[in-house]
Amino acid sequence: MSIKLGFKKSSIVFAVALLSIGMTAKAGVVYDYIKNNNELMIATDANWAPFSYINDAGEMEGFDVDVGREIAKRMGVEARFITPDWGVITAGNWNMRWDVSVGSMTPTAGRSEVLNFPAVYYYTPASFAVHTDSTVTTLAGLNGKNICTTAASTWEMYLEGSLDMLDAPAFTYKVTPGTITSLADGHTCLDDTRLGAGVRNDGIIDSVPMIQGAIEDGYPIKFLGDPAFFEPLSVATDKGNDDPELDAEIARVIAEMQKDYTLTTLSMKWFKNADGSSNDYTVAY
Amino acid sequence: MFVDTVIEDKALHKPVFLLYLSLTVLAIFFAFNFTNTIFGEFLSPVIGNPKESGFFGRLAVSFVLTILFVGNLLLISFARLKIQILIVWIELFFLFLAFAYSFDLEISYIFKNDFICSTESAREKLCIPSKIGLMISKGLFTTIYISAVSIAIATAIAIVGAIAKLSNNGFAYAIASFYTSLFRGLPLLLQIYLIYMGLPQLGFMIDAIPSGIAALSLCYGAYMTEIFRAGIQSIPKGQWEASRALGFKFGLILRKIILPQSIPIIVPPTGNQFIAMLKDSSLVSVLGIWEIMFLAKKLGAKDYNHLEMLLTAAMIYWTLTIILEMIQARIERKYQQKT
Repeated sequence: MSIKLGFKKSSIVFAVALLSIGMTAKAGVVYDYIKNNNELMIATDANWAPFSYINDAGEMEGFDVDVGREIAKRMGVEARFITPDWGVITAGNWNMRWDVSVGSMTPTAGRSEVLNFPAVYYYTPASFAVHTDSTVTTLAGLNGKNICTTAASTWEMYLEGSLDMLDAPAFTYKVTPGTITSLADGHTCLDDTRLGAGVRNDGIIDSVPMIQGAIEDGYPIKFLGDPAFFEPLSVATDKGNDDPELDAEIARVIAEMQKDYTLTTLSMKWFKNADGSSNDYTVAY
Repeated sequence: MFVDTVIEDKALHKPVFLLYLSLTVLAIFFAFNFTNTIFGEFLSPVIGNPKESGFFGRLAVSFVLTILFVGNLLLISFARLKIQILIVWIELFFLFLAFAYSFDLEISYIFKNDFICSTESAREKLCIPSKIGLMISKGLFTTIYISAVSIAIATAIAIVGAIAKLSNNGFAYAIASFYTSLFRGLPLLLQIYLIYMGLPQLGFMIDAIPSGIAALSLCYGAYMTEIFRAGIQSIPKGQWEASRALGFKFGLILRKIILPQSIPIIVPPTGNQFIAMLKDSSLVSVLGIWEIMFLAKKLGAKDYNHLEMLLTAAMIYWTLTIILEMIQARIERKYQQKT
């Protein structure tokens, strides 16, 4: 499904590149390509259960994957998934390797220089968490401490005080960390926290469903305070191959999925609490 | 083994050496304090509660450990060489297992399968039994496939590169030496990113697997160029002179006289390069290629069992390397007989 020797799109991109010397890319190129090829190529990082991950059958699964499939279905084409590194997706310049990212990406001013964000499809709360033995009881208690998070993430921007989200619910910076430990793979933060309070870090910040999953899996961590902020999460398309037609189509499909509660249903299906209740993350609180 | 003619007595069988060794080992065990480990519990009938045993307990535990350690060495030293090697290998392997076991991991996770094989979608596809099954059926195949294709291309590059580096043509030499300098001077991970993200800017769109293969081939092609060059250079000058005296032309000399003689010199290090490439192919996981390292990271992330899957990947790579090293040893022996 995901591995495929790909020289398939190269000829077309090469032609587009030749055409575009001296002129901007023609509107509708990507959309026409998707339609002609009857296939929507969706990029999503497979590192994030329950958003997107690889199940034991070697298939993609999760909330983002379901949303991606539904978008493709409503566009009348087949969905195909590709799993590049997160940094490669956010870097932009996809050159039609894939058409859209349905990977819970927060629109930020920085990212919008290389990517378009046609439609926000849900919001997740981000929260701080500490080791269960930690003496820190309030968010203010983390001031000046060592906080671990994923590199190039919105959480890191929040810690740095440079979070420039677009279309986001209002928030305030509640923690001023002393040291920020940014790791390429945010999961390593969880493993560091497991070693004990203050051993490699004093706390972490991550999305609530991720922390929830880790707690259910037996990690000795606990939430600290209320969620720090809610981040809007959007479908992204490539600015390099700017295609207003594709963006309009994505916006239309997402609006439709919000209207008939498809997104709510999917959110309730994937985001469960420990007590079995479900979360509707399609609205920001 | 050294081909020395004098073989000295075993050091372990000299009482003075044995004494000094025991004292050193005792000091090390004492310094690291094994009282609060499983060894302390074993000795609790003698030393009482390990936590309260104090200096005496620490000394007793260290002493027993030293006796065990040195006794073990002494016993092994009486065995024949091959048996010695085998026993030490097995002991080190069990120490490694104990090290991994001490992480307190959920080893069964590796063989666990959340996927129900009787569902409709599974019936159409191959039903894979577990995570380790997925890593072998999909990951191992991709890793070997990428490495094999890359080493083939790298070999072709190396032959051309080596000939260019040895030629009197200034352009050929400059291009070849620039190439080897550049690709030996950059980290492989950087090359992978440069090819994957840089080439499309020029209009050459290549996907993840071709990018990975290109990066591995170019990088290892540069290293192998040097191996091939050294191999060709090691053929004595007399071979060239004799060939010229017989009236051979350059191309013919290279193909029929020089290269066939340099192959026995080139092949063993090339095998080493292949083994190294097999491990370095893990770097292409950043492009989202479903090889061993990628699957290990992503499958482990799903249920927060990272170390289990990373250890599985480690064992797969290790097994693969051992097999390849055995093949490598055979090839080396074969060429040694010839020369």
